[in-house]
Amino acid sequence: MRTEAIDPSGITWQRVSPKYVTVRVVQWALGNLATVLVLSLPLVLVLAGVWAWPPLWLAATVPAVALVAALWRLALIPRQVRAIGYAERDDDLLIRTGIFFQRTMAVPYGRMQYVDIGVGPVERALGLCTLKLHTASPGTNAQIPGLPAAEGARLREQLAARGEARLAGL
Amino acid sequence: MTAEEPRPGPAAFPDAGAAAAAAQPVNASQPTNASQPGSASDGEWLRVHPASPFIRGWVALAAIAFFFGRDFFERSLQGRPVFEEELAGRASWLLAGGGTVLLVSVLGFLLTWYFTKYQVSGGYVRVNTGFLFRQQRQARLDRVQAIDIVQPLLARIFGLAELKFEVADAGESAVRLAYLKIDDARQLRATILARAAGVAVDPAHPEEPSPEAPEFQVLSVPPQRLVGSLLLSEQSFFVVVGGIASVVLAAATDSQAFYFYLIPAALGLAASYWGLFNKGYNFTAAISPDGIRLRYGLLDTQAQTLPPGRIQALKVTQPPLWRPLGWYRMQVNVAGYGVVENAGEGSARTTLLPVGTLANVMGMLALVLPDPGTPQPAVVFGAGLTGLDSDGGFVTTPRRVRWLAPLGWRRNGFAATDTALLLRSGRWWRQLVVVPHQRTQSMALHQGPVARRFGVADLVLHTTPGPVVPRLAQAATEVALALFDEQAARARLARKRQTTEQWLRQVVPGAPAAATEPVAGPLETPTPQQQEGGQYG
Repeated sequence: MRTEAIDPSGITWQRVSPKYVTVRVVQWALGNLATVLVLSLPLVLVLAGVWAWPPLWLAATVPAVALVAALWRLALIPRQVRAIGYAERDDDLLIRTGIFFQRTMAVPYGRMQYVDIGVGPVERALGLCTLKLHTASPGTNAQIPGLPAAEGARLREQLAARGEARLAGL
Repeated sequence: MTAEEPRPGPAAFPDAGAAAAAAQPVNASQPTNASQPGSASDGEWLRVHPASPFIRGWVALAAIAFFFGRDFFERSLQGRPVFEEELAGRASWLLAGGGTVLLVSVLGFLLTWYFTKYQVSGGYVRVNTGFLFRQQRQARLDRVQAIDIVQPLLARIFGLAELKFEVADAGESAVRLAYLKIDDARQLRATILARAAGVAVDPAHPEEPSPEAPEFQVLSVPPQRLVGSLLLSEQSFFVVVGGIASVVLAAATDSQAFYFYLIPAALGLAASYWGLFNKGYNFTAAISPDGIRLRYGLLDTQAQTLPPGRIQALKVTQPPLWRPLGWYRMQVNVAGYGVVENAGEGSARTTLLPVGTLANVMGMLALVLPDPGTPQPAVVFGAGLTGLDSDGGFVTTPRRVRWLAPLGWRRNGFAATDTALLLRSGRWWRQLVVVPHQRTQSMALHQGPVARRFGVADLVLHTTPGPVVPRLAQAATEVALALFDEQAARARLARKRQTTEQWLRQVVPGAPAAATEPVAGPLETPTPQQQEGGQYG
């Protein structure tokens, strides 16, 4: 993975599991396919002759556009997953996400209040988990999805130990 | 599934920086104090003032009294019987029913009062409430973020006050004690602050009340300036525009209807102005070893205490209408105040200075940031308030981005002193955000596609919830990246330097004067404007 402009230099990013693509695809399917199906309803009704109003081109265009957008989002998923990275530095944890809208975040160990691990049904089947870091600020929306379970457990223990060693007040 | 599969759930750090852990409702199945560890001897359980439930529920009682009382009065004045003929026969039943309702509610009030107890001991303040569903709350004293004494009008008439005790929790107040006698509330505040500050309790007399810390008034806002600031607010601007528009419309369409629409609008506006005036009236700020004391209010008064180092971020703003008069407003993020719950109360609590001159602003900055971390604070902070380009050592948005931010690029910028990061923005709505290094929680660089094309990035500092959202917009990518690294290093150093939450313990033995004069920072000396800072009011 190439280094992006806003990534600090000299960082070797740890990548999340490629299996996380499956989780994202399932999430994508639940959201987008439902939308496309609902939007196709007028088309079906117009074709069946039940509805007269929306002209055929309109009834066809709307779901088509939605479908194209959904496919576009689907095509992006592998790249988005590859763009997620984290790196443990001496005093903070770096997390990066995004291709178009990139974000690189640094969470100092001494600021972590607690660490959550969440496992959804699809993640469980694939042996993955999502790690969430919480500081006193709700703006710290730091999570690392798609970690292999063993790596998640290791990271959690590691973060807890480092946090305890460097704990600061508010 | 492997054996190492992590279990879902939080891995809470022991004693972690307080946010999650500081105020926890303890499910109290044993409500007696004897079963609580550490509460045995050094703090007795006390009750709030017996009149409190009535002061809290007075609106309901007044409403009932008004409806029944008015009917009764009208009928007796008109010489009619108090009850209609057909009801008179059942009057005794009605009276009995009404009496029961009244009795039950009074009994409820009394039970609520009886089962509400509080205690300060062993580094904790504990409050028990409820008689069916009991709750015990405890909050750690050294995590205190702010203490408020609130006096609504009615409580003030009876000489009572509510004490609000905030720990680092974004939600509701950790501990609310309503109502105490005003002297007791002050005494309790002094005790809590003394314990929180780490003042040693005399082991021989643990019950001895802590003396209230002396304070020194720094500034006050004269009422005429408050009125002026309200008249020159954005709200007034829209009022004038709206008023003119409706007059013009009414004249043009020859219709009177527009005036009728104005009546509710005018009432709402009057209420809003009144609320702001009532809240902001007689605003004074004072400094004491316990921190910054803010007092304000016309009918309902409030006294806030912000212990040293509790301000997470600060914002100085100047709307365009205030510029000719040189007025500024200051707002702060304090952990525990949280986001604005309801507009009036919340925004008043997070306001450090509703309206003030440059000298006032500098004075308050000196209180919040006793060590500005630069030899020329007036120059640097002055440039942050009003400057452009590289005044005062600010690094601005590069010139190539002027098409993205045609007005702002000369003003968007940052400057770092040894103790704080200054972010300035806004050509019309001037804004300066100050974040002490040791208060930075985490930070992030953001870059969207357009910003990438222009080679700029945004740096966001994360802080506790509040009105201040520190964000450096459109800095050159390499500058933002360098700042990202430097800021991480500075915050790390600052965290190391900060050793304890008990602020009086931080004072080196042999220099007791430093504790009582936090004003005496380098900010106080330099400029002539600042020297009048303390003389306002």
